[in-house]
Amino acid sequence: MAHRHRNFHRSLNRVAQLAAMLWVVMGMAMADDLHVPASVEAGQAFSIPTEGSGQATFYVIGPDHVIKRGVNLGSEIQIQAADVTAAGMYQVLVCSQACSSARFEVKAAQPAKLSFFLHPSRVPVSTPDSIDATTLVFDRYWNLVLAPAAVDFHITPATGAGTSRKLESHNGIAWMRMDSTAHEGPVQVTAALGSAQEPRVIQQVAAEACGLRMKAVPSGKSVVLETDPVRDCSGNPLPDGTVVSFTKVDEAGKSTVDTPIKKGVARTQFDLKGPAHISVACGVVLGNEVAVNGKL
Amino acid sequence: MKWGLVAAITALTAFLVGIAWVQSGGIAQHAMFSAGNPEEAVQALMSEIQARDYPRAYSALDPSSDIDLETFTQDVAGSDSSLRTYSSLQTADISPLHATADEAVVRVRMTWSSAVGSIDDVRDLHVRREGSVWRVVWPKPAVQNVPPQVVSVNYLRWEVIGRNRSQAWGSQDVDSPKVRITSMNAIARPDRVVIVGEVENEDTVPAYLNVNATLLKADGSPLEEEGSFDMISHVLLPKQVSPYRIDFPGIQIAAVKSVRMDARALLVPASADPVIAVSDQQIVKDGLNRNVLKGELVNQSGRPVNIAQVLAAYYDNSGKVIWVSDGYVDQALMPQVAVPFAVDIPDDIAAKLKNYRVIVNHYSRTSS
Amino acid sequence: MRTLLAIVAFTICWPWALTANAQELPQVHLNAEGLAPRPIEQLTGSSIVRYYALAWQAMGQALESNLSNGVGDAFTGFAKERLVRRVAEQAQAGLHVRIVDHGHQVKALFYSTDGTAMQLTDRAELEIQTFDGNKLISTDNSAHTYMILMTPGADRWYVRDLEEVPAARP
Repeated sequence: MAHRHRNFHRSLNRVAQLAAMLWVVMGMAMADDLHVPASVEAGQAFSIPTEGSGQATFYVIGPDHVIKRGVNLGSEIQIQAADVTAAGMYQVLVCSQACSSARFEVKAAQPAKLSFFLHPSRVPVSTPDSIDATTLVFDRYWNLVLAPAAVDFHITPATGAGTSRKLESHNGIAWMRMDSTAHEGPVQVTAALGSAQEPRVIQQVAAEACGLRMKAVPSGKSVVLETDPVRDCSGNPLPDGTVVSFTKVDEAGKSTVDTPIKKGVARTQFDLKGPAHISVACGVVLGNEVAVNGKL
Repeated sequence: MKWGLVAAITALTAFLVGIAWVQSGGIAQHAMFSAGNPEEAVQALMSEIQARDYPRAYSALDPSSDIDLETFTQDVAGSDSSLRTYSSLQTADISPLHATADEAVVRVRMTWSSAVGSIDDVRDLHVRREGSVWRVVWPKPAVQNVPPQVVSVNYLRWEVIGRNRSQAWGSQDVDSPKVRITSMNAIARPDRVVIVGEVENEDTVPAYLNVNATLLKADGSPLEEEGSFDMISHVLLPKQVSPYRIDFPGIQIAAVKSVRMDARALLVPASADPVIAVSDQQIVKDGLNRNVLKGELVNQSGRPVNIAQVLAAYYDNSGKVIWVSDGYVDQALMPQVAVPFAVDIPDDIAAKLKNYRVIVNHYSRTSS
Repeated sequence: MRTLLAIVAFTICWPWALTANAQELPQVHLNAEGLAPRPIEQLTGSSIVRYYALAWQAMGQALESNLSNGVGDAFTGFAKERLVRRVAEQAQAGLHVRIVDHGHQVKALFYSTDGTAMQLTDRAELEIQTFDGNKLISTDNSAHTYMILMTPGADRWYVRDLEEVPAARP
C-alpha cells in the first residue's frame, strides 16, 4: 500500500515537473549557453565569459557559498579564489529573460593537512596486527583529497631501530596495520605528506602475567605473602596498580585480598588459624599455590 | 451554672492534656515502662527506635545493660556516615525463642529501609523481668581497639587528561579501557530471567563500566533491555574481575532466543586504595534458617570506608557462574577493624554451588 | 485535452504531494559487501542507513526553509560548517532550494578498524529546484554522486563530509 502511495507521488512529481519545464520554455526567449571550465582546483580564481547584451542576474551556488549579483551580458564574470574553496559541484546560472545553467567541479587542491588516527592508545606487547593507523588527506581548505597521494609512516619504538612505510591514499584514505613489538614503552608513529606531519604516541604495555609466583613467610600467627616481580612472558613488568588476588582457605573458611602491585610486586598478610592453602591470581591467570603450617 | 462551667473547663483541660500525652508517646512509654511480657518490652523498644527517640529507648533498658547512651545510639542508629545513618527502621518482626519466669530470649528481625534497598538486622535480645515489668538487656557491642598509629598510603592513583574540545578531529586522544565479558549465563527463575557472569578489565588503566544485556526473540528483534545497575563493581582496577547480574522481571526464558551483551567502559580517575580483605568466608544457615555466605571485611587502609557493598559470585563444579548476590554493610569500615557481613543465597543455588568469590565495592564520603 | 486537464490537476496537487513526501525519510539502500578493513555489524548498518537518511532530510529542510537549526543533529565538522554557511548565504541572497528526494543507493567503501570513520559513496536520484524568491530559476532532475564521510557520535552517526563528485567517480 505504501509502495503504491510512493509511486503515485513520483508520478505526480514527474508530470508536474514536465509542466514547469513547459512553462519555462513556452513564450520565453531562448537562453544563451554558458561556458564554464569542467573543473577547477579549490582556491583558484577563474572567469566565465558571457554572450549577448543587457543586464542579467548571475548566480553561483556551491556547497558552502552562494553568489548573486547583477552583471552585464557580453563581459567576463570573475570568480574569486575565495568563492571556490569548498570542493564539490557548483551550479552557475545567468538569468535575463530566461536562465542559462551550467555546472562545474571544484577539485581539492594539493594535499596539505592530515588527520591521523592511531589506535589503540595502549596495546599489549608482541601482539600481531594490533596497531591500526588511518590517515585522511586534506588540502588547505579541509577538502578531502580524492586523488591518490603518497603518505609516509615513520615508526619509532622505545627500543630498537625505527622503520618507515609508504602507502598511497585511495579516495583520501591511507591505512595500515602493524604488530606491537616485544618491549613495553612508548611507540611514536608519524604520518607525513610533504610538509604536513602528524606524530602520535601509543603505549605498549605488558601482556598478561606469566609464571606468577609467590612465596609465603610465616610471621608469628600470620603469614606474609609476596609475589616475585610480576612480569609477562616477554619479561616486561606489569604496571603498578594491577590487581593481584590472594586466596587463603583454612578451617575458618576462605579469605581473599585483592591488592595492587606496588614497585613490581604484590604483598599481603593473612592471619593463620591452623593449616591453610593459599593461591594467587592476576586477572584470569593463576599462579602457584602454597600450603602453610605444614609443608612449604 | 457557675459550677457547671468550672466542671466543663476542667474536663476539657484534662481531655487536652490527655491528647498531648498520647501524642508525646505517652502510651508507648507507658507500655515500655510497664511491659507485661518480653514481646511487649521488645516491641515498645522498637517503636522508640523507629521514632528515633534514642534517649527514651535507652532509658527503658534494663539497668544491667552495660552500655552508655552514646554507644547504644551508635549501635542502633549507625555512625561515621555508614549506611545505617541514612536508613530508617521500617518493621520489626518479633518472635520469642524461649522464656522462664524471669528471663527470656526474643529474636527481633529489624528491617531497615535505605536508598539501596532494605537491610535486615537480626538480633537475639535478652529480656529480664524486674517486678512486674520486663525490660530489654541491650548487649554491649564488641569494639575492637586499634592502637593509634600512622598508616602510610602509597598506593597508585590515576588521573586522566583528555583531549581538549577545541582540538581538531583526528587529534590524539586516550582510548577507553578495554574490558571483556569473560562469562555469561542465562538463568531461569520463577518470576524472571537473570543473566549472570563476570567481566574483566583487561587494560592497564582503571575503568568505570556498566554491563547491559538485550534479550532477543526468535526473529532477532529485541524483547527487553536491562543493565546491571548496582549488581556490579563499577570501578575496576587493571586486571580486576567483577561479577555482574542483570534481572529481567516478568520474562520467561522460553521467550528468549539469544542474548546480546554490551560492556561499556569509561576512563576515570581512581585510586588503588583502600584494600579491603574479605576473611573467614563460610556458607552457613543464619538465625532465620536462610543460606548465607558470611565473613568479615577488614579495611586495610588508614581511612574509613563509609559504605561497603559485598558482591559474591557462585560457581558450579565446572567453574560456571550460577548466581550472583549482593549485600550492603550498614556499618562503616573503620581502619583495621573487622566488620561482619552476610549475603543471601537461594536454596537451590546453595545446593549446587561448589565455589564462590567475593569482591567489595566501597564508597567513601571524602576521596583523596 | 485530457493531458492538459491532468497537467492542471497535478499542478494544483503538486505542493500537497511535496509536503507529504517532505515528512517521510528519504529511501536509502546500503550495500556493504566486501567492506574493509572492518566488516560492518548489522546494528551499525541500520544506524548508518537511518542517520544518513535523517541527514538528507535535515539538509532538505534547511535548504528549503533557510533555517539551519536542525543541521547539527545530523552533520558535524566540516560538513556542518559548510551547510550552515550555505544556508545563511542563500538566505541572504533571497534564494531557497527544494529537493525532491527519490532515493539513495549507497555503497560503503571503507570502515576503519576502530570504528571511528566510514567512507561511503552515494548515487542519489534528486530533483533540485532553485528559487529566487518565488521565481523558479532552475530545475534539475538527475542522478548525483556523492562521497561521504560518517563518524560515530555519542548516540548516532554524523555526516562529517559530503562532497558531490562527477558521476564517473566510484
